[in-house]
Amino acid sequence: MEGIAEKHEPDKTTGLAPSKKKKSLSHLVYIGPHLILFLIFGILPLIYGIYVSFTRWDLVGQPEWVGLANYKEVLFNQSSTFHSQFFNGVKNTLIFVVISVPLLIIIPLIIALALNTKVKAASLFQSIFYIPGLFSISAVALIWLLVFNKRLGPINNILGSDANWFTSQPHAWLLILVVSVWWGIGGNLVIYRAALSSISKDMFEAADIDGAGSIKKFFYITIPSIKFPILYTLVMTTLASFNIYGQPVMLTNGGPTESTTVAMMYIRNLAFGSGQSVAGVASAMAMLLGIIMVIVSIFQFVVLSKDDTK
Amino acid sequence: MKKVSMSKTISYIFLVFMTLIWVVPLLFGVFTSFKSETEIKGVGFQLLPVNWTLNQYIDVLENTTNAPIIRWFINSMLISVTHTILVVVIVSLAAYGYTRLQFKGRNLLFWTLLCASMFPSVVNIIPTYKIVDTFGWVNTMWSCVVPGLGGVAHIFLVRQFMLGIPKEYDESAKMDGASDFYIYSRIILPLIKPILIVVALFTFTGSWNDFLWPTIVFNDVEAMPITAGLELLKGIYGDYLFMGQLMASASLALIPTFVMFLFAQKYFIESLSLSSGIKG
Repeated sequence: MEGIAEKHEPDKTTGLAPSKKKKSLSHLVYIGPHLILFLIFGILPLIYGIYVSFTRWDLVGQPEWVGLANYKEVLFNQSSTFHSQFFNGVKNTLIFVVISVPLLIIIPLIIALALNTKVKAASLFQSIFYIPGLFSISAVALIWLLVFNKRLGPINNILGSDANWFTSQPHAWLLILVVSVWWGIGGNLVIYRAALSSISKDMFEAADIDGAGSIKKFFYITIPSIKFPILYTLVMTTLASFNIYGQPVMLTNGGPTESTTVAMMYIRNLAFGSGQSVAGVASAMAMLLGIIMVIVSIFQFVVLSKDDTK
Repeated sequence: MKKVSMSKTISYIFLVFMTLIWVVPLLFGVFTSFKSETEIKGVGFQLLPVNWTLNQYIDVLENTTNAPIIRWFINSMLISVTHTILVVVIVSLAAYGYTRLQFKGRNLLFWTLLCASMFPSVVNIIPTYKIVDTFGWVNTMWSCVVPGLGGVAHIFLVRQFMLGIPKEYDESAKMDGASDFYIYSRIILPLIKPILIVVALFTFTGSWNDFLWPTIVFNDVEAMPITAGLELLKGIYGDYLFMGQLMASASLALIPTFVMFLFAQKYFIESLSLSSGIKG
């Protein structure tokens, strides 16, 4: 762009003679505000977070360098509560991810397929499934607390059950999953619906001529055609599910006996809970969780984008 | 032909069934807020109130000591509106810079930012608290307004949109001697209005519904937004003695984003296909 050859003619992209735009810092007026905020609230916390994960720190005083001690304690010290909390938290987070992600992909996909059969009022249906995601988890969880309430809620009335959904298993997980699916399918549904409507009709007509059944058409035309949206939503939904926090906090408070206490809850409570803050250990846990998330996303991306290309 | 109507019938049955699951709990919660406490505790499932009453709302609004819901609502509004305005300004400026201005390493810088912002934000929470605390923003709205302004995803979205606008528009203005700012404010801004509306809607919704962060940076009951307030309410009205008041409070928190959706449905729906890059 700064080549000599361009000197004689105006720069194609700006319409200005190259000499005029030399060493101007005016672009900083535009990107500067964001750049500063990004450095302070995007980069600095990342670097600082990595640093404090190697320190003993109570959020108030000076972090005291302890090397790998936090990581060793969290990962290997069997007698440490931090160790058992981290593993319990990651286990519960993984339980949620493994069950919720397929549901958050398959259910909206089925709904999108149903909407794609040229039903009337398709966009009204779509809106209905989309709307819960517009609400905060603390508001919708309060409503679900009523719906599943042992005495007052319709669920037990209808099922004729007297289960306490908040304090027994597997009810507690079921409750969290129901609310999560109810709350979380909207975005994926809209993406799948847009993707399905963009598949060319010709392919289905050609398949009809060849006598392909609808199941065959689904697996050989529909799925390959929306492969990219599915991969995209898979990675994004997985990352979102790893961040699960609000549902167990509001619905089960992590119970019964910490069986729904997820990693984010332990991290938050260790750093900002009522007791003495152990922000260093909590940061190490956050780092480990972050690394798990990165590995899982890369794994999903590599495996799934290779698989079908043949 | 027969087969087509079969699949359509199955679709309808399935969709209506799912719609009931999606709608009834929400309506049940909202309708319960219009029931009296005795009616709520009555036996059996009753969707609509027998006697409509606003008493739950009156009780909730009158409790200004330990659960100042109006205050929380206003706090949330102030946070979300301020945050949204700042995001739109900062994002549109930056996206303009990254698409229309020429400077060395422009694209490299942008992609570096995007990659750096990809690392899971769970790591950022604890240090961001320390930064916010250093600025003296704990228990103030700025703790929720400012940190999110460093995000890159929205710039990416607007940048993609801007790249689709022919350069001729601003080039001819530039030939006529228009300044960068003139081009940004008079030519580009009107053209990117649709995507900025999308950014604004999503930013507002995200800010209004943010849950984890406000519960960390606020312990002052008077200053907190409504999401954090509702968590407190769950404790205050615990044991479900005041289910009606809980439902009234929750219903109030649903209003802003719901109203926004009614007016701007199209933007919510279209944006998702834009952001995932599968448009067309």
